[in-house]
Amino acid sequence: MTDWQDESRELALTCDAGGSILWADARAKRILGARPGDSLLALAVDGTSEKVRALLARALAAPVRDWEVALRAFAKPITLAFAGKCGPSGEIELHGCAFPDGYGRAVQQVSEALEEVVALNRELSRKKKELAAKNQQLVDAYRELDESNRGVRSLHAELEEKADTLRRAADVKSRVVANVSHEFRTPLHTILGLSKLLLDAGDGPLSDEQRKQVRFIRTSAEELSQMVNDLLDLSKAESGRGALRIDRFEARDLFASLRGMLRPLLDEQQPVVLEFAAPPADLVLETDQGKLAQILRNLVSNALKFTERGVITVSVECAGQSARFRVRDTGIGIAEEDFERIFEEFGQVDGPLQLKARGTGLGLPLSRKLAELLCGSLTVQSRRGEGSTFLLELPLAHPEASELAQLAKRPLDPARDQVLVVEDDRKTIFVYERFLSLAGFQVIPARHVEDARKLLETVRPAAIVLDIMLEGESTWDFLGKLKADPKTRDIPVLVVTVTNKEQKARALGADEFWLKPVDQGRLLRKLRSLAKPGVAAKVLVIDDDERARYLVGKFLDDSPYEVLQAETGPAGVRVAQERAPDVILLDFLLEDMTAFDVLDELKADPRTRNIPVVIVTSHTLDSVDVERLASQTEAIVSKDKLSRELAMSRIRDALRKAGVGPDAMNSSGVQGGAATGNGAADA
Amino acid sequence: MLNDAPSAGLADLRTRYLTAQLEGDRRAALELVLSAIQGGQPALAIQRDVIQAAQREVGRLWQENAISIAEEHMATAISQMALAHLYDHAERAPDNGKLIWVACVEGELHDFPARLVADSLDLAGFQVKYLGANVPTASLLELLERARPDLLALSVTMSFNLPSLYGATTRVRGRHLNLPIAIGGGACQLAPAAVQSLGADICVRDAAELVAAAADRLGVGLGAPR
Repeated sequence: MTDWQDESRELALTCDAGGSILWADARAKRILGARPGDSLLALAVDGTSEKVRALLARALAAPVRDWEVALRAFAKPITLAFAGKCGPSGEIELHGCAFPDGYGRAVQQVSEALEEVVALNRELSRKKKELAAKNQQLVDAYRELDESNRGVRSLHAELEEKADTLRRAADVKSRVVANVSHEFRTPLHTILGLSKLLLDAGDGPLSDEQRKQVRFIRTSAEELSQMVNDLLDLSKAESGRGALRIDRFEARDLFASLRGMLRPLLDEQQPVVLEFAAPPADLVLETDQGKLAQILRNLVSNALKFTERGVITVSVECAGQSARFRVRDTGIGIAEEDFERIFEEFGQVDGPLQLKARGTGLGLPLSRKLAELLCGSLTVQSRRGEGSTFLLELPLAHPEASELAQLAKRPLDPARDQVLVVEDDRKTIFVYERFLSLAGFQVIPARHVEDARKLLETVRPAAIVLDIMLEGESTWDFLGKLKADPKTRDIPVLVVTVTNKEQKARALGADEFWLKPVDQGRLLRKLRSLAKPGVAAKVLVIDDDERARYLVGKFLDDSPYEVLQAETGPAGVRVAQERAPDVILLDFLLEDMTAFDVLDELKADPRTRNIPVVIVTSHTLDSVDVERLASQTEAIVSKDKLSRELAMSRIRDALRKAGVGPDAMNSSGVQGGAATGNGAADA
Repeated sequence: MLNDAPSAGLADLRTRYLTAQLEGDRRAALELVLSAIQGGQPALAIQRDVIQAAQREVGRLWQENAISIAEEHMATAISQMALAHLYDHAERAPDNGKLIWVACVEGELHDFPARLVADSLDLAGFQVKYLGANVPTASLLELLERARPDLLALSVTMSFNLPSLYGATTRVRGRHLNLPIAIGGGACQLAPAAVQSLGADICVRDAAELVAAAADRLGVGLGAPR
């Protein structure tokens, strides 16, 4: 009984309505330490006495069950569930059951563990948020970078647009300047001419005063003319279209011609000496001599303007791969802050002497532009009052010269068809070179029509590609002459240009007209179709001497040529018209008509106009005849020297010039003979 | 600033949350809280008007003996978890660089309100060090010797712990004259007049008030949560 009571967690007690304990059983005393007289309310854990009070009040009114309260059992809080009811004499009977110790501890433990988990969770959560924030920062930074990147790109596009606009504006300006300058020239030339006439007193003498006035008019017009020329040059140089004419020349020769050119500029009254220091003996340049001379002329005339007395020295030295030209004067000099200004258009320095010697203000800017065209630089060193030195430094050989020279210097390749490309833009030439050489053609470059003209004297290309923008009128002129000249008229010319001038090009005889940019595939197809198939060439022999015809026939017996014969001039012309031979061997003296008559008839007919003719003669021709024949025939051959080899060679030459037959392809053996064949009579 | 009266929507939410809590339906309770925050309710309002209000109701129900102590523990555990999820899902304002310590005074075992305050401050951009329930004043003083917050927030729920609060404020004030002290919690609301004499700089009724007062006192803006 006692043991059981010791283990029990149940207890019983009674108390009055105020919570004062009236009776407590042994277990109540053991578990709670509660004794009669103690207050049950005082046992309540802090903050829970209200619930104990509610238990008493409710039990008094009606029985209650499972009323949980927290009481201190010997200062240790325990939870008990009470049942209570009102006893017979108004006391409150309470029967409680204490929750096991372990239960309370377990709840406490769970609660504490939860606390810790919650704390951990906050920490993890915070870290997660920090990471998210950092990630967001990265994303923001990335977006910012992306935006600024986009900004840079759009700025770039804008810049390009601006650059385009500027380029267009500069282009327009150059064109306007060029056109206006041209328009100025005509009236200026009239003024210059008329004033000259007046001064020459052709229509009666002028009074001294009138002479003075007319001379003023003339000098003013000369100045204006100079200015217009400078402007024109400047706009040409600026547009980069000033075609270069690159030659090899010696510095010595350049100085000699400059000396002659500049002497008239010296005023006898002006105590100024112009000296040319002797250039190094072996100094050879390969660049545009005209432009170089123009720069030096400008520099010297500039120096003359600003030097009242003293010496102007022109010198040149060689420095590695460059030449350094110096023009030194003892004039008024230039302040350092003006060094760049003097190279700007109309950027003159204001000062008394500058005002006195008013120039066009274009000389130095033009000189600098020209220097740049020559891949060089123009700079100045000076001090106020101590004179100036202009330094022009340029490569001994213009880069274009060396590159193009290599292209141009290549020997003609007999295995390939030659294409003459007349184009002033070096880069474009190299583009043609690249794809045409891949397709089996050999490009012969010509930077300008003058070059092309010279080349055509020695080479007969399969076709000519002609850039018509090149030098404007003179190119049209070149095309016209090319097509008018019987020696070149049948070379197909492909006109390539940026402006639509097809009618003009066709009218002048262009075989093809294309707008730039050229489609490479199309060009190749065209060129291939122009290379004529290798059929056996026909040779027509016109000779009244049967033996002569027989001999030629014999000579050509084993050759790939088919020989046609005619024994009179008219018969020969007829055969030529009907059979269209590739070459004609014509006796100089026929019975019924002269070679000249036959030639005239051949040239008069479009069917025979282009057939090359070789004159065969037994007579010594006089120089007048030779000259006349040379312009219309391929070669003149003396009958007594005629051999199989010579006949073959001349025929081959003629055929090759016409770009006909298999021999046009494999005539390397007679290379060079063509050059001397024309007009150089073997007679 | 939050309105004192919870909106009808939040009151309804609290009822449903409490039901889920007392039924021990952890998932339902969580879903209610999370859908509210995803629906655009401010985290602070959910903390105060749903979770904290529900916890008060739980306390009252135990007082009424309508629920057992076991049920009370269960409900509280669910609320702790709800708070954790709420904190996790809430947007946190950018860090404002001010450090606040949150502690329950010695003898105070009700740490739920302190936890809620700590979360609110944290989400508002403060750095918070949460010291938990029943922090002995001696320990607090010891900690203050080693580190120093910009503000100390003390929580007291039961009025019999008011003397403990008084002891803490007086002793901290004695050692750290310039450390601002904020007090709050259930016990402080019973006798506002008496609280004034406790020597605190700031006395607040709820977490939202504390966030505003701390920002004001420490001179930081309340960055809108991102």
